[in-house]
Amino acid sequence: MEEIKGAIALIGYGLAAIGPGIGIGIVVGNAIQAMVRQPEAAGVARTTMFLGIAFTEALALIGFVLFFIA
Amino acid sequence: MDNLILALECDTANEIICRPDNVVELFEYTEALFTIGPLAFTRTVFLIFLAALIVVVSLYIAFRRPKVVPGKFGVIMEAMVGFVRDDVAKGTIGPDGVRYVPYLLSIFLFILVGNLFELTPFINFPITSRMAIPLILSVFTYLIFVGVGFSKNGLSYLWGIIWPKSVPVALRWFVGLIEFVSTFILRPITLAVRLFANLVAGHLMLALLLGSGWLFFASVGDIGIRSVIGIPWFVFGLGIWVFEFVVAVLQAYIFTLLSAVYIQTSVHPEH
Repeated sequence: MEEIKGAIALIGYGLAAIGPGIGIGIVVGNAIQAMVRQPEAAGVARTTMFLGIAFTEALALIGFVLFFIA
Repeated sequence: MDNLILALECDTANEIICRPDNVVELFEYTEALFTIGPLAFTRTVFLIFLAALIVVVSLYIAFRRPKVVPGKFGVIMEAMVGFVRDDVAKGTIGPDGVRYVPYLLSIFLFILVGNLFELTPFINFPITSRMAIPLILSVFTYLIFVGVGFSKNGLSYLWGIIWPKSVPVALRWFVGLIEFVSTFILRPITLAVRLFANLVAGHLMLALLLGSGWLFFASVGDIGIRSVIGIPWFVFGLGIWVFEFVVAVLQAYIFTLLSAVYIQTSVHPEH
């Protein structure tokens, strides 16, 4: 196998962004569904949505930081 | 001027595009303004004190003489305080969350001002993009939620995490291990890294887009009509600027909200 050149950390960051991307899509999509179905509970849904985004996003951000560290 | 916009040391007179060898240079410590013994007072330290001063002064001005009908500035500050007290503290922790409002309000306003430095012209450096600031804030949150957990529930706080009652017995050690690592090790790290990485990414994008647009404009004498290429960069950068405003406010909110949620899990561990 030939030598692979370039920043492998870039590929790592790209891989790290896949999961959180899908996850945030699911979180926000379901939060919108909840808000539309029960507008009176929109406040709770929004707060929980931000929490879910924050937890999901952490993985991508750790990948982002590791890209600079690597 | 260029140094202020790019927030890096760079001789723009001699080089058309001043590309740093490593993006870390964008966040390096500039030379000290003055030193007191072993402590160096750099631009970042100055901005930290400036952020704290802005928070204290604006709170003092808004609430020095509380009025029944506050002015415009008073309305804004009252909205922020009411938001942190009612939505964040009481909304997540419950009625006894009022105890934690001073801490939550302090970190919310400090992070908000520190984040908005990213977007302020001629400052253009978010102090929260230095790992030290988010880390020390998350250490405060860590100490508070661990301390509250032990003082309110004693050792059953720790026992409830490593031996959760709501899980089948055969799985308890495994779930307990995951819970222990996530509560005591990952929580403070992710809390700090989330704020840090968001602001680093935002500062990088703004520095690259607005800075390169500016440098293309500035080098019109050297590269002629090709400096027009700076216009799309600048427009794109202004779009990112608006986006980063949302990110700055949202990250301050999320840091405060997560601190409140972590405290809530210590106050009422059964939920």
